[in-house]
Amino acid sequence: MDDTRNKLKTEGLLAHLPPLRRRQFLAGAAAAAGVGALGLPRMAAAQTGNTLRISSYTNPSSMDPAIGGNGGDHVYLWNFYDPLIEWDFQTLAPVPGLAKAWEFTDPQTLVLTLQEGVTFHDGTPFNAEAVVFNLERNRGAETSNVKPDLATIESTEATGELEVTIRLNKPDTALPLILSDRAGMMVSPTALGNDPEANVNRNAVGAGPWKFVSWTDHDKVEGTRYEGYWREGLPAMDNLVMTITPERATAMRAVQSGQSDLAYSLAETQKTLIERLPNLKLVEGPTVYIYQLYLNRSRGPLQDARVRQALQLAIDREAYVQATQAGVGEPARMFLPQAHWAYSQAAAEHVYFDLDRAKALMKEAGVESGFEIDFVSYTDQAFVQRQEVVLEQLSKIGVTGTFRNGPVPDIVSRFMGAEKSGDSMLSAWTGRPDPTQSYDLLFSENSFYNPGRTPPPEGFDEALAETRATSVQEERKAAFDKLQTIVMREALAITLSVRYEVNVATDKVSGFEPNLLGKPKFRDVKVG
Amino acid sequence: MLNQLQRRMLRRRLLQAIPVLFLATFSVFMLMKLLPGDVAVVLAGEQATDERIAEIREIYGLNRPLLVQYGDWVLNALQGDLSQSLLSGESISTTIARVFPNTMFIVAYAILISIVLGVPLGVLAASRPNTWVDKFVMTFSSVGVALPNFWLAMIFVGAFALNRAWLPATGFVPPQEDLWAAIAHSTLPAVALAASGVAEVARQLRSSLVEILQSQHFRTLHAKGLHPRAMLWRHGLRNVSVNLLTVISLLVNRTLAATVVVEAVFAIPGMGTTMVNATLQRDFPVVQGVVLMMVLTVITVNLITDMLYSVLDPRIGQK
Repeated sequence: MDDTRNKLKTEGLLAHLPPLRRRQFLAGAAAAAGVGALGLPRMAAAQTGNTLRISSYTNPSSMDPAIGGNGGDHVYLWNFYDPLIEWDFQTLAPVPGLAKAWEFTDPQTLVLTLQEGVTFHDGTPFNAEAVVFNLERNRGAETSNVKPDLATIESTEATGELEVTIRLNKPDTALPLILSDRAGMMVSPTALGNDPEANVNRNAVGAGPWKFVSWTDHDKVEGTRYEGYWREGLPAMDNLVMTITPERATAMRAVQSGQSDLAYSLAETQKTLIERLPNLKLVEGPTVYIYQLYLNRSRGPLQDARVRQALQLAIDREAYVQATQAGVGEPARMFLPQAHWAYSQAAAEHVYFDLDRAKALMKEAGVESGFEIDFVSYTDQAFVQRQEVVLEQLSKIGVTGTFRNGPVPDIVSRFMGAEKSGDSMLSAWTGRPDPTQSYDLLFSENSFYNPGRTPPPEGFDEALAETRATSVQEERKAAFDKLQTIVMREALAITLSVRYEVNVATDKVSGFEPNLLGKPKFRDVKVG
Repeated sequence: MLNQLQRRMLRRRLLQAIPVLFLATFSVFMLMKLLPGDVAVVLAGEQATDERIAEIREIYGLNRPLLVQYGDWVLNALQGDLSQSLLSGESISTTIARVFPNTMFIVAYAILISIVLGVPLGVLAASRPNTWVDKFVMTFSSVGVALPNFWLAMIFVGAFALNRAWLPATGFVPPQEDLWAAIAHSTLPAVALAASGVAEVARQLRSSLVEILQSQHFRTLHAKGLHPRAMLWRHGLRNVSVNLLTVISLLVNRTLAATVVVEAVFAIPGMGTTMVNATLQRDFPVVQGVVLMMVLTVITVNLITDMLYSVLDPRIGQK
């Protein structure tokens, strides 16, 4: 019996089966693979006709411009809604949109003249009454998230069929560019049932180039050409399909395989890959998206301007851009890129790399031996890399610290909200069409993004008011010189680098241009 | 049809599922609430002010006691209302109805591949223990278990979607819209998910079969002169079917969990991606809904497995 068992163990009970020869096995495997390959549908690039296929990166928070809160929403909203005012792609200077002209008749009165013959997607005529309805809704509805943007509006009035007069409670020449953002995107009053408290959260009805077709959460957003669109010959493509692909490497693969025509907001490190691959083209440019160290200036050594200036001078921004953005980007010396019309040379002169001066400032402030900062930031790999570079650079002046990381909503609400957790947050500012908005939101005393709710330095409020007081661009630029010089001299935050927009498109795509806001518009984009 | 014993077992299992469902949803609810971070901040958007955030908490009832919020959710869920996403406003039932079949299609496809390839490989190895065939299968299985799904997924995309446009690199088409397109889109993710499944099935089957084939029972069959093929397929597989069923049911649950990463690599709108996005944005009604559905799936799979045990081996039901 033992012999039998041993035999079974060594030979296997089924050793009597015809022996499987290695050649037979390999032949079988090859045949199976061949059959499999032949049987599979061969996926050439899908034939989609006149459709623009985009790999987008985030699920929209709402199709209602007044209600959503996600910075990634604009790229969807601009397809379905036209704003009152638009901006120049290269400089962000205001240009006509649904308002063909605007004028400050006095510092507190803005008169908009509207385009003729415009209709919303549901056929409702676009006129002064529709604009008044939208502006009143945006600044008054309970659910509106854009109320703070329109806080300077006292009243709005239709002073003609195509003329709107906006009266302000104080001068605010930032308003035209504010109207190029969510606050100026026009929703059909009919779609809202003329009820300001209603919403079009899931069904966009605007006067933009495409009519909304569908939005499937975390999947895709679709649109089709609006035949009544007021701009001749646009949009360039009949249909629009935006596939939501949060993983940017996956988005890149979708373009590479021909499943998408373009993808936007890729990582800087993907630039090299795009350049190496045939049939793909790189679309890149600077943006107003600024990486920075937010500072809670209400406590500890960061209350002292000299300490903050020391941090500012200890950062080698050129090296930072090389290490964290593969060299794609530029050092941030304020909250604007160099290409912006309001970029200030005077302010930039306060932001340079000088370890000796930084150490001297630390000594002057009585913290020569350094101190520890309680940093907070995000968990993703790119941010962890940024943290390492920042820690390494600050260690040269004796400033040490550790990062407590978490997802964006956690960290932002803990650092900026009531908890006031952490001294400094490594994060970014996504930028606004008008720089007044950025500086106001970041540094005004009661702003959410001023974590310590610290009063701004002397002269800030006056300089901010000056940027709103004139509509002449040269005069505004002078006001921004003053404002930005205060911010950078006092080192209210430590700016690190300017993010460059990195987009990819197939070589069949034309008309896809980067813009300074870093949020692409697609109505001019054509495939083939 | 079910016999009386099976019906009793079904009833018992269903009753046992109720506390499991409560425990799972309550734990997830509390864990989400214990996490720092505030959905009101996300909802307030980029123009957030302290007042606006407080206003949003009020509007959405986020400032009510936790037990009241959970109680509300349970009451609504019992009436079939899983609420709606705090962020996008989409009804959660709609979300689940859309993403659940996508995930289950890929899971089912992966399990099918695991069985179709794993069973013959296991049998092949068991029928020729300690030969080069056995060693080849076991080595292949070790590699299959060791390779991370997401890495394999990316390699497959490079090889079969980018270099050779045989299959789509990303995305998904629901089977109800176009079955062939659904199969084409699911093949790479399913194969990536199935790699460890094939290995697991082959290894477990081989080990169970080798043990069975060396038992006295099989020696007797051999002595009776039964053909080896009949011994293997008719008696061998039947004897290990309970073990195989256990492996497969565990595999279903594990593959369901593994879809989270693979769905991200292939940009598939499924349960995994929905849950990850909702968790990151603290959209807890969506997390609750998806967790509820996943727990229900696992309970159902376990229930079906239990019922099949009693079919395959009637002694189990009697016990």
